[in-house]
Amino acid sequence: MVTDSGGIRADGVRRSFGTVHAVADVDLVAEPGRVTALIGPNGSGKTTLLLMLAGLLRPDGGTVRVAGFDPVTESYAARARTGWMPDVFGTWDSLTAREVLTTVAAAYRLDRAAGEARASELLALVHLQDLADAPAHVLSRGQKQRLGLARALVHDPDVLLLDEPASGLDPRSRVDLRVLVRDLAASGKTILVSSHVLTELDEMADDAVFISKGRTVATQSVTGGDEPRQWRMLALDPAALIAWLESSETAYEPDPTGGVLVDLRGEAAAAALLRSAVEADVPVVSLAPAGGVLEQTYLALEEERR
Amino acid sequence: MSVTVETPAAPDAGPAAPAGRGTWAVSFEGLRTVARLELRQRIRSTRWKTALVVWFLVIGGITLLTTGAFSTMTSAYPQDEDPYGGTIYSIVVCFVLFLGLLVAPTLSAASINGDRNAGTLATLQVTLLSPAEIVLGKLLAAWAAALAFLVVSVPFILWALLAGGVDPLSLVTTLLMLAVVLGVVCAIGLGFSALVSKTSGSAVLTYLTIGSLTVVLPIVFGLLVPVTTTEEEVRVWNVPPTYSWEDTEPPACEWTTERIGVWHSERTWWLLAPNPFVVVADAQPLGDDPEQMAEEANILAMLQYGVRYARTGPAPEQDYCSWYGEDAAAASPVEEVEPTDALVWPWGLGLQLLLAAGGVVIAVNRLRIPYDTLPRDTRVA
Repeated sequence: MVTDSGGIRADGVRRSFGTVHAVADVDLVAEPGRVTALIGPNGSGKTTLLLMLAGLLRPDGGTVRVAGFDPVTESYAARARTGWMPDVFGTWDSLTAREVLTTVAAAYRLDRAAGEARASELLALVHLQDLADAPAHVLSRGQKQRLGLARALVHDPDVLLLDEPASGLDPRSRVDLRVLVRDLAASGKTILVSSHVLTELDEMADDAVFISKGRTVATQSVTGGDEPRQWRMLALDPAALIAWLESSETAYEPDPTGGVLVDLRGEAAAAALLRSAVEADVPVVSLAPAGGVLEQTYLALEEERR
Repeated sequence: MSVTVETPAAPDAGPAAPAGRGTWAVSFEGLRTVARLELRQRIRSTRWKTALVVWFLVIGGITLLTTGAFSTMTSAYPQDEDPYGGTIYSIVVCFVLFLGLLVAPTLSAASINGDRNAGTLATLQVTLLSPAEIVLGKLLAAWAAALAFLVVSVPFILWALLAGGVDPLSLVTTLLMLAVVLGVVCAIGLGFSALVSKTSGSAVLTYLTIGSLTVVLPIVFGLLVPVTTTEEEVRVWNVPPTYSWEDTEPPACEWTTERIGVWHSERTWWLLAPNPFVVVADAQPLGDDPEQMAEEANILAMLQYGVRYARTGPAPEQDYCSWYGEDAAAASPVEEVEPTDALVWPWGLGLQLLLAAGGVVIAVNRLRIPYDTLPRDTRVA
C-alpha cells in the first residue's frame, strides 16, 4: 500500500539517553521506490534513528511517519508495514534457518502454509536453500546476515530499514544484496540503508542523508549527477598532461597517488575533456571518478567540521 | 479463528495502540508461536534431557531410600499394618516440591533478559506479537518445562501412595497444587527477568522471593510470638491448691481463674499461608485423627494440622488436670480444641497468584514498545 504519505518521514526527531543526545535533530525523507542511504560516522546516531523508525524507541520530540503511520501511536499498523534488520542481532541458534523464517512468519500472523511457502521463497532469494535445514548456529556471519535480511522481508513490508546490511558479506553476496535492494525498490518499496561502505551505497542508493552528531548535515541525490565531482586523470607522460591542462586553462590539482584531479560536472563534461586531451596528443591512460559521490561529500563534510 | 481477548490497557499505560491490537491483546496463535519457539530451543539443548534424567534418578533414589528405611522399621513391628505409608508419601512429595522450587526459577528467570542479551528479543517485539503474547507464551513454555519435571516424578508419588495410609484424593490435590505452585514460581522468575538486565541477578531475586515465602515468613511468624502473646484471665480446670503432690489418688480438679499468657496465633497464621509446602499440605483433605497422623509421621498432614491449629487460636478454657492419668482426662469438662475447618491454602495460593500476576504485569509493561527508557546496561537490539 503506497499512499501519498508512504515512505519514511522524520521531522526534527530527537532522542537522548540521559545526558547523551544520541539524536539531536534529524530530518529525513525516504521516498517509495527509492533507496535512501543513511550515512554518518560511528556514534552519529544512525542506529538510534533506525530504532525509532522501527518503533522500538520513543522519540523525545519531532514527528516520525513510516509507511503513513506513526510508530508511536499507531505501532501495530506501522510494525505491520516495516521490515527491520538490526546491525547486531542474535538468531535462535538451535532453530534451523527455515524454522527461523516460519517462526517469524507466524509472529507476523501468516498461516502455516503461507509461512512455509514464504520461507522457501526467501531462502532461495538469499541463497540459503542448501543450509535451510541446518541449525542457525552453523551459519557463518555472512550467512546469518543474509538470514537476517530474509527475516526482515517475511511479511513483505512496504518500508525496509537495513542497518549495515553488507557487513560480513562476501563480494558475491554484496552484489546479490545490491541487486535485491534495487529490485525491491523497483517494486515500489521504500528502503533506508545505513552503511559505512560508501562505494557500495554509491551503486545502490538513489538519495543520501548525511548525519553527524545526531543532526542531519546534508541530503544529496546520488543519481542527479550534475554536481561537480572530482575525476582522476592519468597519462603515460604526466608532464605532457600537466602542460596541456595549463595551456587549455583547465583547473586541476595534483593527486598524491599520481596523475591529477579535475572537477567535472557530469559524464558529458568528462567525455569532452577526454576527447580534447586525445586530440592534443596527450597519452591519457584513464579518466575516472575519484572515489564515489558519497565518499566525496562525506569527506567534504568531515573537512568542514574540522 | 483467532481468539482475541481485548482487555483495556493497564491503568498506567501510555498512549495505547488504537489501531490494531493493544499491549494486552492475546490470541491463541500468538501464544502458540512464542511457546513453541521457546520449547523448541529448550528441547534441543542436551542439558534439558540430562536434567530430566538426573531428576528422575534423584527422586527415584529418595523414594527408594525412604521406602527401604521405613520398611525395615515396619518389618520389625509386623503387627502395624503400613503405618509408614503417609511418611513415605509426604517425604517424596516434599522432596519433589523442594527440588521443583530449586529448578523452576532456572526455567524462567533468564527468559527475557537472556533473550535481550542474545539480541533475539527485539526481533520478536517488532513483529505483530503483542507484549502479552510474548510474556504469556514464555510463561507457558517455562511452566510446561516445569510440569515435565513433575510428570517424571509422578510414578514415584504414585508408588508412595500405594504404600497406603493416604487418602487417594490427596494425590489429586497434591499434584494440582504442585503444578500451580511451579507455575507461580515461573511467573515470578519471568517478572524478575524483565526487571533486571543480568540473568544471574534475576535468578537470585527469584530464589530470594521463594526463600522469603518458604523460610523467612515462618521465621517471622515465630518471632512474632511474644508480640501476639497477651496476659489474659482464663478459666482453668485446675488441680486444687490443697492437693498434696505425694498423694496417690488423682486430684479432684476444680475451676479456677488464672492470669496467663495466651498466644493468639490466629492473628498471624496468614504468615504461614503463602509457604508452598503449606499450600500443598493444606489442600489435601483434612484427616480425621491428628494423633494418628502424628504417629505415622506424615509430614504433610502434620503441617496441615499445624497451620489449622494456628488459625484456630487459643482455647477459651485450659485443662491443667488431664496430665494426672486417663481418668482425670475423661472427667475433664474442658472441650478439646478442634482445628478449624477454615481453609488456609486459598489465602496462600491467592497471595502466590497475586505475586505471579505481578510478575506477568511487570514483564508485559517492560516489553511494551516503543521504549521510553531503557533498562540500565541494556541495548534495544
